[in-house]
Amino acid sequence: MKEIINSVGIDIGTSTTQLIFSKLTIENMATSYTVPRISIVNTEVVYRSNIYFTPLDSSSNIDSENVKAIVNKEYKLANMRPEDLQTGAVIITGETARKDNADEVLSSLSDMAGDFVVATAGPDLESLLSARGAGTDFISDEDRCTVANIDIGGGTSNIAVFSKGTAVGTSCLDIGGRLIKVKGGKITYIYKKTSELAAAHGINLKIGDRADESVLRKLADIFAKQLAMALGLLPKDQYHKGLYTNDGSPISEDIKIDGITFSGGVADMIYNPSGENVFRYEDIGPILGEAINDCSYFSGVKRYDAAETIRATVVGAGTHTTEVSGSTIKYEENCLPIKNIPVVKMSEEDEQDLKSFSKKMSDKMEIFTNTDAYDCVAVAISGNFHTTFRAVQEMGKAIVDGLEGYNKLGFPIVVICENDIGKVLGNTLKVMAGLDKKIICIDNIFVKDGDFVDIGEPVANGRVVPVVTKTLIFNR
Amino acid sequence: MDTKELKALIEDVLSEMNIGEDAASEDTKAAEAEKTSANTADDEAAISDECLEDITKIDVKKQYLVENPVDAEGFMELKQFAPCRIGIGKAGARYKTLPQLMFRAAHSAAQDAVFSDVDQDFVDSLGLFTVQTRCRSKDEYLTRPDLGRRLSEEAVKTIKEKCEMNPQVQIFVSDGLSSAAVAANTEDVLSGLMQGLKAQGVRVGTPFFVKYGRVGAMDEVSELLNADVTCVLIGERPGLITATSMSAYMAYKGTIGMPESNRTVVSNIHSAGTIPAEAGAHLAEVIKIMLDKKISGTELKL
Amino acid sequence: MILKTQLFGHNYEFKSIREVMAKANEQKSGDTLAGIGAESAEERIAAKHVLSNLTLNDLRNSPAVPYEEDNVTRIIQDDVNETIFREHKNKTVAEFREWLLDTQTDGEMIKRASRGITSEIVSAVAKLMSNLDLVYGAKKIEITAHCNTTIGKRGTFSSRLQPNNTVDDPKGILASTMEGFSLGCGDAVLGLNPVDDTVESVATILKQFDEFRDKWEIPTQTCVLAHVSTQIEAAKKMNAPIDLVFQSIAGSQKGNEGFGITPEMIEEAREYALREGKARGPNVMYFETGQGSELSSEAHNGWDQLTMEARCYGFAKRYSPFLVNTVVGFIGPEYLYDSKQVTRAGLEDHFMGKLTGISMGCDACYTNHMKTDQNDIENLATLLVAAGCNYIMGVPEGDDCMLMYQCTGYHEAAALREVFGLRPIAEFDRWLEKMGFSENGKLTPLAGDGSVFLRK
Repeated sequence: MKEIINSVGIDIGTSTTQLIFSKLTIENMATSYTVPRISIVNTEVVYRSNIYFTPLDSSSNIDSENVKAIVNKEYKLANMRPEDLQTGAVIITGETARKDNADEVLSSLSDMAGDFVVATAGPDLESLLSARGAGTDFISDEDRCTVANIDIGGGTSNIAVFSKGTAVGTSCLDIGGRLIKVKGGKITYIYKKTSELAAAHGINLKIGDRADESVLRKLADIFAKQLAMALGLLPKDQYHKGLYTNDGSPISEDIKIDGITFSGGVADMIYNPSGENVFRYEDIGPILGEAINDCSYFSGVKRYDAAETIRATVVGAGTHTTEVSGSTIKYEENCLPIKNIPVVKMSEEDEQDLKSFSKKMSDKMEIFTNTDAYDCVAVAISGNFHTTFRAVQEMGKAIVDGLEGYNKLGFPIVVICENDIGKVLGNTLKVMAGLDKKIICIDNIFVKDGDFVDIGEPVANGRVVPVVTKTLIFNR
Repeated sequence: MDTKELKALIEDVLSEMNIGEDAASEDTKAAEAEKTSANTADDEAAISDECLEDITKIDVKKQYLVENPVDAEGFMELKQFAPCRIGIGKAGARYKTLPQLMFRAAHSAAQDAVFSDVDQDFVDSLGLFTVQTRCRSKDEYLTRPDLGRRLSEEAVKTIKEKCEMNPQVQIFVSDGLSSAAVAANTEDVLSGLMQGLKAQGVRVGTPFFVKYGRVGAMDEVSELLNADVTCVLIGERPGLITATSMSAYMAYKGTIGMPESNRTVVSNIHSAGTIPAEAGAHLAEVIKIMLDKKISGTELKL
Repeated sequence: MILKTQLFGHNYEFKSIREVMAKANEQKSGDTLAGIGAESAEERIAAKHVLSNLTLNDLRNSPAVPYEEDNVTRIIQDDVNETIFREHKNKTVAEFREWLLDTQTDGEMIKRASRGITSEIVSAVAKLMSNLDLVYGAKKIEITAHCNTTIGKRGTFSSRLQPNNTVDDPKGILASTMEGFSLGCGDAVLGLNPVDDTVESVATILKQFDEFRDKWEIPTQTCVLAHVSTQIEAAKKMNAPIDLVFQSIAGSQKGNEGFGITPEMIEEAREYALREGKARGPNVMYFETGQGSELSSEAHNGWDQLTMEARCYGFAKRYSPFLVNTVVGFIGPEYLYDSKQVTRAGLEDHFMGKLTGISMGCDACYTNHMKTDQNDIENLATLLVAAGCNYIMGVPEGDDCMLMYQCTGYHEAAALREVFGLRPIAEFDRWLEKMGFSENGKLTPLAGDGSVFLRK
């Protein structure tokens, strides 16, 4: 029994806007004589859009109307309608991800997005998604080694490191192909940090200067060397620290890189250097690509081909954001989907002390229930300490007690567990909270405090629900 | 196990493994042991208060006994996907002592689960009355599956006396091939199942316990009480991984002699498989679907 | 034909050869379950006595299922060489037993006789053999077969590497496979019982096995023990590389129908494997059997489980198999109750297979609801090697996590080889030495380290 879920990924980045459609295959991996275990067994990108420059207005904000027009056009080209989609993600990345601007874009896309997911990506999530899209996780798993992906876009270079298939670190640097723009042989834009870095190395660049390839190549060489430092391929110099986006942190010194993949727009110029005019994109992308290609510090590690280059982030967003819940869960008719609900995660210590659990839980929930911004709030537990029927009753009681204030608001009760107790806990909550209360209780989903989740409409004959977790901070 | 859990487990294992250190500490232990034995040489009969480690608590997945391996880490990663006894080294062309004892311990639990009876006090404490099939002993039960599928005359009489007739669902518990499974899981599965059925407003008959029962006994129960759905919670044949796995067999309007394909089964219910209370909740849903669709077995698509 | 005898002055009268055969059997719970076994120890001996005086001709004329009704009977009867049969037909079973045991009768003579007898005769003579007789008789008979390598040669003893996994996980299967080979297991076959009997899954594992074998240049054969039609479809549709084609078989047409097979399907599969398979051949089939399977599918026609088992071998022989093994204790205590019955059945099956003329191995095993333990199975394995058994199974420490039964472990074949001065199949032996896993027929300290195969 296989079933296909249609997913969309939309990436609105500093320089480009793209969209992909993919098919996620879900299948029951358990035998017919045990409880079902439904998983995503395959993902396949079925449509790749054209790559558009992100439409910006005069103040460098995203022009949401034009973004919408692009998305509309691509839906038509792909012969897709919003109602055909069960899941997906809109990712707004890089400099464009400023909250006010992003909200405007998202609301303009909401009718296109229909019932699926919207998210603004922090740099960590973006790094992860692009690396997954580039297939770095898969390569590191296959070759049993540690591989870094650098997604070099217009404004930033997002790094994610995978060791044997597992993410072990992310970081983001202000290094990109469009930090300097060129038109008619002249420099038209220089990002402030970039100009400072150049100056510190005795390279003086000003808007209006002639775009001198050899001078810009010197800057590109510095960029390349800084990226190598970020991967620990040579000692970090005094300028390195200042290059991290939003003062983010570097990859841990303990991680030793065996291999590397490149994605993002500049990646194509690394993998396939061309002799064409280096200013053909009116920026320094091709020069940066050449510089990285020639940089000797990268030659000590194995260079792998990326599965996706310029489309890595959007492919990651379209194929790697959706999970499916456990296969024995509780939900009510007409309650789903629910979108963008904040997660209150109770600690394992709290779970083991049910006397104080309810109070702590309701305190934490107040942050969200006191504002109008959110309707539902999800309570998340590990569920590892209450697995017998009696213990589940106690856990259920503690949750219901903690929901007293929330219940007055009339929203469904949403509980997310890691351990496989979703259905029995859901039944318990139903009995304890009253049969008129709507319950959504899912399991096999790992979330953190501060995450936001979307829970989609049930699939696989109602056995499971698709879940998108928007982890904005990658804390490892 | 999902990918994330697995990854966490591997990290765990690898951090615990640290073979070099272990070897070193073995040496120290040996040295210490020597010292101790020297100290107590004049008092050989001294009995320590210490207790040996429970070898059944050792996680086979984390065990690695190969000496001087080429790539312990690589092997342990793969081993996490193989729930079997590998990476156990050797003594000559034979087994090391510890894994051999672990194997025998697992088999001892399996044998005890099969050959011992369910504690009657336990059954009584669950509020279940007890009846017996036509088998008179465990040996007869093991060699005569035909007798284990039929209720004794007395059982028929007792069930008729004590049970509500024409229930929507009739549930009973049976020892099957593992008394240990009944002891370990009945309370959780039955409670989870009852709660789920009651929440859906399903009328459940009087549950009871059948000693020396085979799955097929449910057909006679079904006919006897005229139940819409009959469900037996029964001990599975023990393996060495667990001796406490339980199965639930369910049939819509079961009759003696119906094809086996009319049964729906959910197996692998135990603490390390499907969590018993959760399994109970799942069974309630399966039964509800059977009642709604009026079918069971291979025709029932869940 | 005399069906009456006396014992201690008591009369014993049997109605038919069928009844004599059932009651002459050593005690098996399956015959009791079928309601056909001897009712007392004395009756059993009386039946043996009557049986000992029947001629081979009597037995040939009394197949377990009539010729007209059963294609297994037809295969067995049609494959008899009439000239050879005539040479033996007037011997009583007692005389035939003594002829087999006679020091003047060598293995080649027995193999010739094999072509002139039916499975009922094979079963009858086994019933008159003591356990040591079964060892002594079988030991004479060297049956070799060739797929990629030659199994069954004197001085060799082989094992099947059985890396079963509860979810057919490729990584888990790989881990088990590596450890098995490192312990000298797998010269008979690398063969997995799949959980998922779908064409895709079977093809995936076949490809994985083939790649591993080719990468490490292991001189052996591979197999995934799915239904025969699934394997052939995997080869046809998914291009899966096939060495050996597997199928479980029974001793009657009805039993085989229960397995979803016909003789035509088996022949087609064999021809396909010869035409499209990867192995050198000519022996490309692998069959498994087990006493009691016909009764469990009500396909025994009132005959005893030993005779029905013998008929499996008669059927198998038609297809020149590379491997045939009985899975002797898998079926449970209602057929073979305890270690005594399993041991007996294992020795009987091996003897009968050899006397039939097939390359016989044994999955010496038990389930947890039998009164048997690992010691008993090690005893049986030891006796089987003494009897010249071609191969046994190897699973990690004898514990098959997927089939939930216990059999012989990866270490057993190596230990038994050492005890009896035997070697694996020659090419495989050289490969083990090349890899550093063995030296002069003994495991090296490196043996047991599956991670050798992870070396980059």
